[in-house]
Amino acid sequence: MNMFLHELKVYRKSTIAWTLALVALVILFLSMFPSISKEAESFKKLLEGFPEALRVAIGLSVENIGSILGFYSYIFLYISLVGAVQAMILGMSIVSKEIREKTADFLLTKPVTRTQILTSKILAAFTSIVFTNVFYIVAATAMASVVETKEYSIKTFLLLSLTLFFLQLIFLALGIIVSVVVPRIKSVLSISLGTVFAFFIMGAVASTTGDTAVRYITPFQYFDFAYIVQNSSYEYPFMIAAIGFIAVAITASYFVYSKRDIHAL
Amino acid sequence: MNVIEINNLTKYYGKERGIIDVSFNVEEKEIFAFIGPNGAGKSTTLRTLLALIYPTSGSAKIFGKDCIKHGPEIKKEIGYLPSEVFYYDKMKVIDLLNYSASFYQKDCGKRIKELTEIMDLDLHKNIDDLSFGNKKKVGIVQGLLHDPKLIILDEPTSGLDPLMQQKFFELLQEENKKGATILFSSHILGEVQRLCDRVAIIKEGKIIQLEKISALQENNYKKIKVETTANMDEDYFNIEGVSNLEVKQNIISFLFRGNINSIMKKISEIEIINVWIEEPDLEEIFLHYYEKGA
Repeated sequence: MNMFLHELKVYRKSTIAWTLALVALVILFLSMFPSISKEAESFKKLLEGFPEALRVAIGLSVENIGSILGFYSYIFLYISLVGAVQAMILGMSIVSKEIREKTADFLLTKPVTRTQILTSKILAAFTSIVFTNVFYIVAATAMASVVETKEYSIKTFLLLSLTLFFLQLIFLALGIIVSVVVPRIKSVLSISLGTVFAFFIMGAVASTTGDTAVRYITPFQYFDFAYIVQNSSYEYPFMIAAIGFIAVAITASYFVYSKRDIHAL
Repeated sequence: MNVIEINNLTKYYGKERGIIDVSFNVEEKEIFAFIGPNGAGKSTTLRTLLALIYPTSGSAKIFGKDCIKHGPEIKKEIGYLPSEVFYYDKMKVIDLLNYSASFYQKDCGKRIKELTEIMDLDLHKNIDDLSFGNKKKVGIVQGLLHDPKLIILDEPTSGLDPLMQQKFFELLQEENKKGATILFSSHILGEVQRLCDRVAIIKEGKIIQLEKISALQENNYKKIKVETTANMDEDYFNIEGVSNLEVKQNIISFLFRGNINSIMKKISEIEIINVWIEEPDLEEIFLHYYEKGA
């Protein structure tokens, strides 16, 4: 418990900052919605001028842009990008920070097992992600109800918003496994940004090919927003893939971390 | 009773040598020093005892329990001071110490107060703002606050001024009197002499000597310096038992181990102006261990 609280405190400031950024972003995006939906027809015409491949790559389906769900699923791509960066940085930090800031000796010579240490750290990171998502969803839902006057499915809106949480969990797990496998990480930020953007671009490319198998490669393609809007549910094979990846990454992290040598400097 | 038992401990970092076949015991209430130059394997040995790194082969027991398997349990009674102390720098000293104390199921508040007073440490400063020496003090308090039965220190005195070093040694001696066993590493031999009962010397990953400090000093080593009237043949004193021979014009100095009469005869055969015969300090005795083959 002491370690959990300590870790939580360490990430408190950055979690609040990221949460505020995501909330600000969704408010900003959704505030554009009324003017876009008013001009939906002319906007559609403008967009139809774009090459189709580009539209598909950036996740734009022209028909839906005038409805809140269509608009939201379009802007959500960018919100999930920001969320993925937050989660990846967090995941990579929890172990590598101890090595980089040379505090590993302090923690690992205390009467605790490495499993306890990693568990506390993962739980603290998980809690931070939950915190972010609670505030994000409240802000997004509130903002959506302000800008959209017509009826829309709250359930679908929540399903879309919750993909942020799942996506963040995937990137958190990815960050953790990277940070326990790579012996010394100099810059968490550059590796996190690089990885997330690489997956993001792969996602954009994958959506132009329309190949299902390719979609398994990048977490950004695990949640097809158009599918969610149409069916009000997730695609289960991809949910299973996501859960499977998280489970394997976390288990492997425990294994590697408990066998690892902690070197002097 | 042995507090620490190390049996054929070997550690390779990939192909690189860490330590090879290290074996020694540390008895209860002993102050044991582990001496060697940088890179000899001192830290490797200590870090293996603390299960920070895993041995390639061999094993070590602390309080009779395997140091890897029962690591978390035995660490309740171990205080550790790493060679370089770095702590969560955004914390205040008192917060760090309380965090450290929170790992042990006992109230350490009183002890923290005592120790910080002895160490003259400001509890309400940010760790970030502390000098290296002051960070070291935080490390010392952090290592002792739970009254450990075994204290392991890696290069404990680097960065402390002589006055603080003195206080720190007194503190360690006090802990020792109360029943704590102390194992520390150092490359400064002068420290060892003052503090410890036994010493192991490690070189290139292997233990090369294990002795009582008193035995080492009584080992009939004499430090001899002779000033002669005329310049001498350099090899005049190069007889059996002489080491570290140095000739500077008409001043000759060396260490001698063996029958004192033979060297006295040698000295009596030449014209001398002055002679000094002293007990050498350990540094001088050990010097030749390091130099051999180096």
